[in-house]
Amino acid sequence: MRTLLRRYLREISVGAAYAALLALLAWQAPRYFQQQFASVWVSIAPILVLAIGMTLVILSRNIDISVGWQLSVCGVVGGLLARAGVPMPAVFALVTVLGAAMGAVNGALVAFMRLPSIVVTLATMVILRQGLAWARQGEAVYGLPADFQWFGLSQAAGEGVLVLAAMALFCAFAWGLRWLAAGRAVYAVGSDREAARLAGIRTGRVVFAVFVLMGALAGVAAMLQSVRSPQVDPNAGKDLELRVIAAVVVGGVAVSGGRGTLIGVLLGVALLGTIGSALVFLDVHSTWQRALEGGIILLAVSTDALRRRSGP
Amino acid sequence: MTAASPNPAGAGARLRAAVHASPQQWVLAGLLAVEVGVFSVVGTNFFSADAAYQVTRLSVELGLLALALTLVIVTGGIDLSVGSLLGLCAVLFGTFWRDFGMSPVLAGGAAIGVGGLGGLLNAVFITRQRIPPLIVTLGSFSLFRGLAEGITRGVDNYTNFPASFLALGNGPQIPVFLATAAGAWLLLHRSTVGRALCAIGHTPEGARHAGIPVERRVALVYVLSGLASGLAAVIYAARVGQAKADAGTGYELAAITAVVLGGTSIFGGRGSIVGSLLGLFAIAILQIGLRLASGPAEAAGVLTGVLLLVAISIQGALSRQAVARPATAKPTEEELEMKNSQLAVLCVVILAAAAIVASSNYLLVRSIATGPRAAPSAGGVGPPSRKITLAMMPKSKGNAYFIACQRGAEAAARELGVDLIWDGPTDPDPAKQNEIVDTWATRGVDVICVAAENGKGLSTALRAARKKGIRIVTYDADADPDARDFFVNQATPQGIGYTLMDTAARVMGGEGEFAIITASLTAANMNEWRKHINERLAKYPRIKLLDVRPCDDIQRKAQEETTVLLNKHANLKLIMAICSPAVPGAAEAVKQSGREGVKVIGLGLPNENKAYVHEGITEAVILWNTMNLGYLTVRAGHDLVTGRLRPGAREIAAGRLGTLRIEGDNILLGTPFVFTKDNIDQFDF
Repeated sequence: MRTLLRRYLREISVGAAYAALLALLAWQAPRYFQQQFASVWVSIAPILVLAIGMTLVILSRNIDISVGWQLSVCGVVGGLLARAGVPMPAVFALVTVLGAAMGAVNGALVAFMRLPSIVVTLATMVILRQGLAWARQGEAVYGLPADFQWFGLSQAAGEGVLVLAAMALFCAFAWGLRWLAAGRAVYAVGSDREAARLAGIRTGRVVFAVFVLMGALAGVAAMLQSVRSPQVDPNAGKDLELRVIAAVVVGGVAVSGGRGTLIGVLLGVALLGTIGSALVFLDVHSTWQRALEGGIILLAVSTDALRRRSGP
Repeated sequence: MTAASPNPAGAGARLRAAVHASPQQWVLAGLLAVEVGVFSVVGTNFFSADAAYQVTRLSVELGLLALALTLVIVTGGIDLSVGSLLGLCAVLFGTFWRDFGMSPVLAGGAAIGVGGLGGLLNAVFITRQRIPPLIVTLGSFSLFRGLAEGITRGVDNYTNFPASFLALGNGPQIPVFLATAAGAWLLLHRSTVGRALCAIGHTPEGARHAGIPVERRVALVYVLSGLASGLAAVIYAARVGQAKADAGTGYELAAITAVVLGGTSIFGGRGSIVGSLLGLFAIAILQIGLRLASGPAEAAGVLTGVLLLVAISIQGALSRQAVARPATAKPTEEELEMKNSQLAVLCVVILAAAAIVASSNYLLVRSIATGPRAAPSAGGVGPPSRKITLAMMPKSKGNAYFIACQRGAEAAARELGVDLIWDGPTDPDPAKQNEIVDTWATRGVDVICVAAENGKGLSTALRAARKKGIRIVTYDADADPDARDFFVNQATPQGIGYTLMDTAARVMGGEGEFAIITASLTAANMNEWRKHINERLAKYPRIKLLDVRPCDDIQRKAQEETTVLLNKHANLKLIMAICSPAVPGAAEAVKQSGREGVKVIGLGLPNENKAYVHEGITEAVILWNTMNLGYLTVRAGHDLVTGRLRPGAREIAAGRLGTLRIEGDNILLGTPFVFTKDNIDQFDF
């Protein structure tokens, strides 16, 4: 029991913090649960999808800060394709492939050229951001076909599909990370790349695959993000990378690689995704939101340090 | 830089060792030479003392951060919080000076002290708690920026610094920077502390066994990094003439790029101050050179990213060879082979870099007008024999509002035969605007037309441009009256605020609750409008303003913020969106909530709101004719140069707009227009 508690300390503490926040809301502003609770989950669905990919990347002891602008590029391209008359399922597939291709560029540079991922993705982030601004001059994509928004479903059904799609991906990846050889390989590479190589894991391929998956998930997230509105905003992914990394780290994934679970990440995404709207319901001025988020991240990593000190 | 003069062979080798130049830095120096060469040919007034001065002046803050980051990265760490800390220190500097009545010197010292404390906070978490620097500084990145916004409540902007202080930002910061660079060089390359930092970067555990106080040394670099941010904040305030919570946004990435481009290994253990300076200037020259050559600013970003990738690819390739070497048997042969392959790699890089720069410039050359221009003769009458060059800047290029402006401006430029340069920041950024005005002044255009994101801050740069004989027209948002010739006034803030509030009151039937979505809590003109909205609100005692939420000019965020407001407030009757991306965002949120009783009004463009207006969600969109605003601005700029428009004129003949009234030095476009269901289809912009 104690070992279990220690092993999942972070998941438990983040879960407790989330529960405490919800309890505070239930006490102070019960109206929160009538509608806002559901809308929060709709708005964090794309972030959860990105966070799944980011978890893989960070578990393999890398980082990807280009995801926000990958999402923007995918969203805009998806919108342009849909406007050009490509049917929605094909748009979805093409955008996912585009995301995977962008991830492959990052992955090849990191895995096979052995370059530090933070610098590689910093560079690709700048290239994607400025390239998109250059090509589109910040203009949104208007005039999308009727079956673009909510995939042509009703709004309620569309929202349901969004959350279910994100949750389905989450469950699939959570299961795969835990029970598939490929999933364990990601942990192995992140804990000790050399040891993993000696154990017969093709470490380069694992890292490459992780970045490709990250890109493909960014494509999926872009579609989940853009179908919520009848026009595609080219700034949709702005600052998203920091939100996603923060959520993953708060969820207990170690930046030194090899440690963390997707359950924790889900709770981290939910906690950080709830704070903004919770502050409105608790009548706190919105300027303090960012300071509070920074504080939570520092608190979360401090507990990490405590755990390491009390651990073996 | 330092290694320019010819030397005897032995001294040359010593010098090479002294500046710690690695192959990558020679590549970089070559690249710099290529950049300077290319821009001297294609850029207007690029190869001049003035341009060199601008490049240096604009690089100082970034340079200070890059110097500090070199030390941090050498130890194998990273500091993402430098840009945010710069913002916090700048804001606190303003607070100390204005609210606590300190002298600028004292306030500056205190701000640098705060920077040191911020660095110490990072250091404590990193050395005591043993948390990875990436995470700690990612957290303090949010924390510092959040504190700066909290302290100013987002809206406060410190300006009106004394002239003696502003003079510091116009040259004296360069010796300060050079001294700091020399200090950093001595510390890293000429002291035991510097050796210790390299050792820690190589292997912290090994360094510990060698008797190096690892924690103290690591703490030192983060504190130094904090102090550098504080110093950069004071210089920033002096140069830009303002201190706001968003100062230094994105500087951390630019500084890291400069450092890594300069050959400092991101894995730690190896670094060079000279390299960082080379990297810094490579980026700064690229940006300013492209601008002087009227190239798109985004191209500089894309090229910087590509350069960074190329630089680290070389770094990776070379270091892998270095690692591979000891494992092989025959050192001499291997060494020879190494040199050959290195040489090959170097040649490829130089060629690639030259090709990148050259190909990007091929595009530019086609769009470049003829050589340097003389400053326009003051008040000459009649059309000049040469073409007039008119440079026009929006607050941000992406905004649909300014895209419409651009279309109007282009139409006027075609009618009048004017060369129109259209450039501006990608995101609203007052510091970027200053830089662009400075480079335009260096380039020597005839007229600068600008929509000031922050009037007070921009005025210093505009005055300097005016001194060079360049005519200044402001439009959309004004600067100080003595910093420009005319202001094309689309509508007064009072007119906008009152029209918005009156329309809201009409839609709400004179009673109920409403909320505002704004772009950011720091945008000066929106705060001005909000002030007038609040003033007018007093007239309607039964209407209550519940909340103001920022959306960062992102439509997605406007939609989410509106959803939160709708869910929180059951009796909400109206959302007032006062930045253009927020209007469709808010309308979409209202539509999705299915709340029949809630209406949206806002400042926006007809096209993006037509659907919602017809659905009856958006009741009214308020705006002047933005295309006409751009059109009129170019007209006014042209007439100023040709002498048809002089100070004291009472009216202006504005082509297709007919004759418009001038009040003092304000050219009036007319009253704001309310687009509703009945008339919106008549407009297409």
